[in-house]
Order: sequence, then C-alpha cells, then structure tokens
Amino acid sequence: MIQTILDALSYGGLYGLAALGIGLVFGVMRLVNFAHGELIAIGAYLFIITVDLGLPISILIAVTGTAILALLMELSVFKRLRLAGPSVLLIASFGVSIFLQRLYEIIFGALPLSGQIAPWMSGVIEFGNTTITRGSILTIVLALALLAGMRFLIENTTLGLQIRAASSDFQTARLLGVRSNYVIGAAFVFSGVLAAAVAFVLVTQRGSVDPLFGVNITILALVGTVIGGLGSLQGAALGGFAVGMTISLLNSFLGNYRVYTYTWLFILVIIVLLIKPSGLISNKAFKERA
Amino acid sequence: MSLLSVRDLQAGYGKVEVLFNGHIEVEPGELVGIVGPNGAGKSTFLGAMAGSVKPSSGCIEFEGVSIRGKKPEDIVRLGLALVPEGRAIFTDLTVNENLLLGLTGRRDKSGSAKALAEATELFPVLSTHRDQQAGLLSGGQQQQLAIARALVCEPKLLMLDEPSLGLSPTVIQDVFSVLNKIQELGTAIIVVEQRAHLIMSIASRTLVMREGQVRATLTREDAKDETKLAAAYFGTGSDSE
Repeated sequence: MIQTILDALSYGGLYGLAALGIGLVFGVMRLVNFAHGELIAIGAYLFIITVDLGLPISILIAVTGTAILALLMELSVFKRLRLAGPSVLLIASFGVSIFLQRLYEIIFGALPLSGQIAPWMSGVIEFGNTTITRGSILTIVLALALLAGMRFLIENTTLGLQIRAASSDFQTARLLGVRSNYVIGAAFVFSGVLAAAVAFVLVTQRGSVDPLFGVNITILALVGTVIGGLGSLQGAALGGFAVGMTISLLNSFLGNYRVYTYTWLFILVIIVLLIKPSGLISNKAFKERA
Repeated sequence: MSLLSVRDLQAGYGKVEVLFNGHIEVEPGELVGIVGPNGAGKSTFLGAMAGSVKPSSGCIEFEGVSIRGKKPEDIVRLGLALVPEGRAIFTDLTVNENLLLGLTGRRDKSGSAKALAEATELFPVLSTHRDQQAGLLSGGQQQQLAIARALVCEPKLLMLDEPSLGLSPTVIQDVFSVLNKIQELGTAIIVVEQRAHLIMSIASRTLVMREGQVRATLTREDAKDETKLAAAYFGTGSDSE
C-alpha cells in the first residue's frame, strides 16, 4: 500500500517535471513543443555515454548538453518562426522531433543503448515488514527539489517575473523592455534542464535508451499540461502530476487488466475537459508574440 | 531639435495598411494630443512609433536618431514609452510586480528605487495596494498603475492610448490632472483620445486623424470653435493642412 502511494507520487513528480518543461516554453511562446521528448532522449543518451566518468561529471554533461540542445532548437528553428502562428510552430516542432529521432538513429543506432546509471537508485529500503523501493523515494525528492527550485526562480527572481509577464501578455512585456529573445531562450534552457532530470529518472528505471525514448512521456505530459490549463505554469506541473499519478494508480489497481490503463486515463481526461474545458487552472491570456 | 520627429509614416498589419500618412513633431516637455474617430489609425500610429507595429515606410527620429524598425524593448530603453489601449496591466501579478516590470526598460538601474518612489508619489493609491493582485484594482486604479509602470523607466516621451477608456468622468479628471504633473516634471506626452475637448484643453497642439492620415493640427484656441473641430473631425469642409 505504501509502495503504491510512493510509486504514484514519484510518477506524478516525474510527469510533473516533464509537463513543466513543456509548459514553460508554451507559456512564453505558445509553442507546443513535441520535440521535448527528444530533449529527454538526448539527456538519457548523455547519461549512458558518460556513465564511466562518474555520476557528478555525467550529470554535468547531460544537463548542460540537454540545455544546449534546447537552446539550439530555439535559435535554429523556432526563432525564425516568431511571426508564425501556433499551428505552424506545432508542425515545426513535429519536424524537429522526427529530425532528431533520425539523427539519434544515425549517431547511436536504432537499437537500445544500455548502461547502468546510479545503481543505488534501485534496490529497496526495509521498514519493519514493509519494503519500499529506493528509486521512488529519490524520484520524489528530486522532483520536489526541482519543482521548488523552479518555483523560486519563477516567483522570486527578475527573470522569473519577466517570464511570467511574457507568458501572460508578450506584447506588453516587450513594450516595458522585456527582451523577447532573452526570455524565450531562458525558457528553452530551463525546459532542457528539466528534460535532463526526467531523463535521469527514466534511464535509471529502464537502464537503456533508444531514439524514441522520450516520445511516450512527452505525449502524456502534454495531456497533463492541457488538463492543468495551457499557459499556466502551476497548472502544467499540477496537470502533469495528476496524469503521472493516475497512470501509476491505474497500473496498480487494474492488476492484470493494466493494458487498459491508458483507456481509463483518457476517459478521465475527457471527463475533466468536459467539465473544465480550459483546464484546472486556466489562463485567459492568449496574445500574439511577434 | 525636436524630441520626436515623424514623417510620411505608413504601417499596418500583414498586408492591410492602416496608417497611410502619419506625421508628428514633439518638443521636449510638450503635451500633444491625437484625436479622431474609430479606425482612424491612432493606435497603429502609436504602435508604429513604439515598435509594436512594423512600419512599412516613412521616417521616425527620436532625439535625431532613426528608430524605425527597432524592437519595442530597445525603443523603450531609448526613452519612448507606450501605455497601450485597454491598460494592459498584468492582472495576475501584484501591483508591485507590475511596477518592477516597468524598471526593465531603464537604461541605468541605479535610480530604480527613486523612480519607484516618485511614481507611487504621483499615484498614492498604488502604494496602499502594493501587494494586491493588479486585476482586483478598479478601472481607474489600473489605468494609474499602467501609467506609473511606464513612468518608472523615466521616459523622455510618454505615449498614452485612450487613457479615459471605460473610466467614469471623475476618474478621468484624476488621470488627466496627473498628466499635467508629469508634464511639469519635464516629460513630453502624446495622448490619443476619443474625447476631443478633454485633450484639446490641456494639449499645446492636437492632431486630428481620419482614415489613416493626419488631416489637421488644432491649437488650444481651436477647441472653443465647434465648427472648426467638427470640420477637422468629420472631414466636412476643407482640411487645414
């Protein structure tokens, strides 16, 4: 029972991180970035490739590398599409996503690349007669730390204030002097850092990475951002958390019928959106950013 | 040298041209009005000068330097600030956070605290609601916040797009009396207004726009002459330029 709850919380935290990464970029750019999955994948590749260098160096390389790729995405593709509408941006992100998947295939091969990252993440801790997995606890701690860190950054720093302003009304923010390229670049870098964190947890769980590594969690995290309310960072994190937790709980309760997990998940998603079409925490600001 | 000098300005949205012939001269510390019916291109004119609308041709010089085609975030740093129509404050942020955002456009960050203090001195109501969510302020208070937020970057020229929109007559009086104070502090102001009489009584000159063009320039004395104003506004009779 305790393990079920901890699993749910750790899944929730993980999906919350993924959704927040997507939500940050959506907030300032109105870009639904499908290529976020490929950021998670590159993070995982970097973790596995650098495993022999020791964890601290591995983390440094993976986080920096993922953040740089996120920034490169913005500079090479999305920056050129500033005047384009959300649908063009969305299609462009599909393009980036597929391009990177093929690129990973060429560089790393289509077969999974395996490696054991942070073996101490697996294993169990015993409390009397209940045992819980170490990974779930550490994931919860990591997710809480990162969510708290992001919250501090967004709520208490000048850059965070500018990101919040740009998310709610980009035009007005620019009139006040908020530099669009700076704020958007920062949002991409943060989403890259969050993607690397997600990659870390996933790669310790799965022990291998393939070109499509990040696709599944990205789609589900996107569902989370929609449920939470597009454009609200709190909503994104919360929605992602809800989706992750629901998946984990459904997996536990459905037992042998867990093939129906996603069926039930999307039934719940439909119900939520029927009741609150704008998401749990709605943000009415939807202005052009040119 | 004029503070702002604009000639033959054309601007619009995509392929739709809205402004065909915008021209204006503003001296340091001057208050200039712009009036005209809906759709005359007044907001587009201000937007083109502030950089939020892309001009297609023409000339915009601020302190003798061309600013045409510059980004809005760079133009505000030069000292040209726009308070857009409908106030455009960040309703989810607190009053204080809105004001802090206004500091983004400052060239020197050292005077920030002083500028914040001066802005709240002009609008005392803002300091009493400092930590309140800006969306909870009344319409008049929101307009005051929008003006204060533009003032904390200490612009040389402040542009206001219909500050009276949606406000009650007494509140409008409050807002406009502050404009006089701002002007006395040495800031030049351009005000776009639907209420022609209101703006003509305080502006040294008022431009009349119609169908995307500046059609006439009226003086303060002209405000008393109903026929002259009506002629310029509605295009009956011959234009004065």
